[in-house]
Amino acid sequence: MIKVHHLSKTYGDLTVLKDISLTVAKGEVISIIGPSGTGKSTFLRCLNLLEQPSGGSITVDGIDLLDKKSDVPKIRQRMNMVFQSFNLFSHLTVLENLTIGPIRLLGMQRDEAEQKSLEILKLVGLAEKADSFPDELSGGQKQRVAIARCLAMNPEIILFDEPTSALDPTMVSEVLAVIRRLAKDGMTMLIVTHEMAFARDVSSRVLYMDEGLIYEEGTPQQIFEQPQKEKTRAFINRIRSFNYRISSPDYDLYAMNAEIELFCERQILPRKTRQNLLLLVEELLQIHNPLLTTTALDLTIAYSEKKETLEIILEHLGEAGNLLDKERLPDELGLNIITHLAQEIDYQRVEATNRVTVLLKKD
Amino acid sequence: MKKLMRPTSLLQYLALLFLFGTLASCGGDRSQLPGSRSTLATANDLQDKRIGVLQGSTHEAYATQHYPKATVLQYKSVSDMLLAVKSGKADAAIYSRDELMEYMRNSDDLGFVGGPLYRTPASIAFQQQDTELLSSFNRFLQQLRSDGTYDDMLKRWMEQGATEMPKLNTTGTGKPLAVGVLSDNGLPFMVMKDNRLIGFNIELMERFGAFCNRKIQYIDLDFGSQIAALAGHKIDLIATPLAITEERKKRVAFSDPYYTFDSLAVALKKNIAAQSVASARTPSFITGIITSFQSNIIHEKRYLLILDGLKTTVIISIFATLFGTLLGALICFMRMAKSRLLSAPAKIYIAILRGTPVLVLLMLIFYVVFASVNINPVIVAVIAFGMNFAAYSAEIFRTGIEGVEKGQTEAGISLGFTRTSTFFHIVLPQMVRRILPVYKGEFISLVKMTSIVGYIAVQDLTKASDIIRSRTFDAFFPLVMVAILYFLISWVLMQSLEYLERITDPKFKKKKVANQ
Repeated sequence: MIKVHHLSKTYGDLTVLKDISLTVAKGEVISIIGPSGTGKSTFLRCLNLLEQPSGGSITVDGIDLLDKKSDVPKIRQRMNMVFQSFNLFSHLTVLENLTIGPIRLLGMQRDEAEQKSLEILKLVGLAEKADSFPDELSGGQKQRVAIARCLAMNPEIILFDEPTSALDPTMVSEVLAVIRRLAKDGMTMLIVTHEMAFARDVSSRVLYMDEGLIYEEGTPQQIFEQPQKEKTRAFINRIRSFNYRISSPDYDLYAMNAEIELFCERQILPRKTRQNLLLLVEELLQIHNPLLTTTALDLTIAYSEKKETLEIILEHLGEAGNLLDKERLPDELGLNIITHLAQEIDYQRVEATNRVTVLLKKD
Repeated sequence: MKKLMRPTSLLQYLALLFLFGTLASCGGDRSQLPGSRSTLATANDLQDKRIGVLQGSTHEAYATQHYPKATVLQYKSVSDMLLAVKSGKADAAIYSRDELMEYMRNSDDLGFVGGPLYRTPASIAFQQQDTELLSSFNRFLQQLRSDGTYDDMLKRWMEQGATEMPKLNTTGTGKPLAVGVLSDNGLPFMVMKDNRLIGFNIELMERFGAFCNRKIQYIDLDFGSQIAALAGHKIDLIATPLAITEERKKRVAFSDPYYTFDSLAVALKKNIAAQSVASARTPSFITGIITSFQSNIIHEKRYLLILDGLKTTVIISIFATLFGTLLGALICFMRMAKSRLLSAPAKIYIAILRGTPVLVLLMLIFYVVFASVNINPVIVAVIAFGMNFAAYSAEIFRTGIEGVEKGQTEAGISLGFTRTSTFFHIVLPQMVRRILPVYKGEFISLVKMTSIVGYIAVQDLTKASDIIRSRTFDAFFPLVMVAILYFLISWVLMQSLEYLERITDPKFKKKKVANQ
């Protein structure tokens, strides 16, 4: 139904979409996930030309959208959009919001349009609000009306641009339930969303977007259970990380500790975990201190919100060798503390880099 | 409850306005400055006084030349000038004897200061190129003098103080002749009575019209702008009593003199030496009001003047608003266009129109743009006020459109509407509701602004009150009445806009249904 070839979008010097190709078949439900600012919404808005793409091509049912001769408004009637901020027509009642399209664009009779619209309102559970005005509805109700407004046009495709991002958590489910129902009825949909659980069980395909590209795509199982690429994994596991580079033996330990504390505070880690983390880092650095005369150390602390795990990664260039090897240490005091606090200790040689990974033990 | 409030609050406003007016008029009587008290015996005593003159008249030139130390106050109409003398704002005024005599016939508070200052021949002014009409008039004047009509006219108007036009057997029917007049000049030369012009000069014109078979069309202009209007071909001749001066000769051509007038200074009798002050009896407030009402409204059917003025004011206001709204929409469209070719001219238009007084624009359009076109001044007023209104409404529309969230347009477009139909079905209805309150205010200020159209010879409400004042020399009543009438027009028009505001509120319909 939709074929996208090498789509790109730039704003001046800023490249938002680099090179996107995608084919959507009828009945597919595609979720687009990824961090903020990676062009997910822009991609969706390019699809119905709310944003003019800078390059590439988009064809819908064989019609080239970027061809000047194409009747774009006509195509948009079959490919509606649901917005994050609802965008209901505030001067019209709920029912009029639904009927304005069919009456003005599809040439439907008022009676017929009203009857059909009422049925659709029943479907989204809002028939009793038909005569209300948008500002009298809750956020969840507004979004359901917005979806109903799309349905009134009898579209073949619906684009959802973060439909639940502007909603209270309590209202998210009512909107998702409606979308789920549409999916079951076989509607072709592209959904930009941050609701991972929803994306996982509603979609037939998941696109992970990052760096202006479709970074990884696959079935929900593939993306959510075995993400192949690192960024996807970090995103799926909701990993937050902290980096610090130590390049001299006389580094400012207190400044570094303060930053680590700040990072922990942001992740709302318990006090005990924080203390353990700081102790662990200190002991690790104590052992690696001799290296600092010749090379720099890269310290990374990664916290996975989903798994609730904290990892400490210490990397340095130079000769291969695991400093945590018992044989090479003058005493075992430091190592004992480390093994006591760690759940897992791992050493890897990756190309010219020595990488020590320590997983903090959970309390 | 709300509906009940409205008329009551309206009455309160009116009462307040009236009270304010009354206080102001009482204050006016007291406002004689101590400096003006010294008595006048001869014209020489005017040396250090404040002298009122008609702007652009020979009296103005005379006063500036002969009384260099005096303060010369220029007035646009005779009535304003005499009112200034009566209320002590000017110590004396210089004007022609005949009009002053006419005034003194009805009122005894003014007296002459000394004897005549100078004599000047008066004549009708024509366009310099129009020698044919000029010589035709000179022939007409000769005929009038030889058959005795002239003497008869002099006798009736100048000596007997006639206030009626004689029955003239024939009138001209041919191509209209645009005649510049000063409707509040005063008898015996010309004045408004029963909603039509009468006087010596008017009779002269009617007879001249019959003589050369032309229809006479009177154009009422400020004294100061008559020569400019004649030189600019807006009128064919000036019938206002006009003295021949060298300066005027440079711009217009004069006929043979038809009269010679003496110029004299007048002042309040109580300020003139050797004149006894008549004991003033003050009528009670209520009788005062009733007398004022009769002389200002009922007498000589002056209400007709007011009704005509009211009609003109309403017509100009409404059509200027319609024209301004359409033009404003166009300017707004250009202003919001992406192309600088469109937006730059719109920006300049808005900046210029908002930065210049509408009076200047009005005069420019009348005297410069349409200089050689015979156009109804009411249309000029509609154009000028419309253009001014357009500059403001364009900006109001722009803020209104920008105030409608971008998401509304996007939703319309993504539903399949074209950009244009999105604007008309989605943005416009929301914008109208948003801008109406500001728009309403702009409209009301337009209604009040139209009070300056008298400058281009349109007889609107303000001009009507000027004319009445020129006959009754009563400042208070006509002004307060006009203030009240303006307020009423604004109020009625405001109500209709408020109704519009209510019906464009989408919730109004629903409430109506719910209330039933």
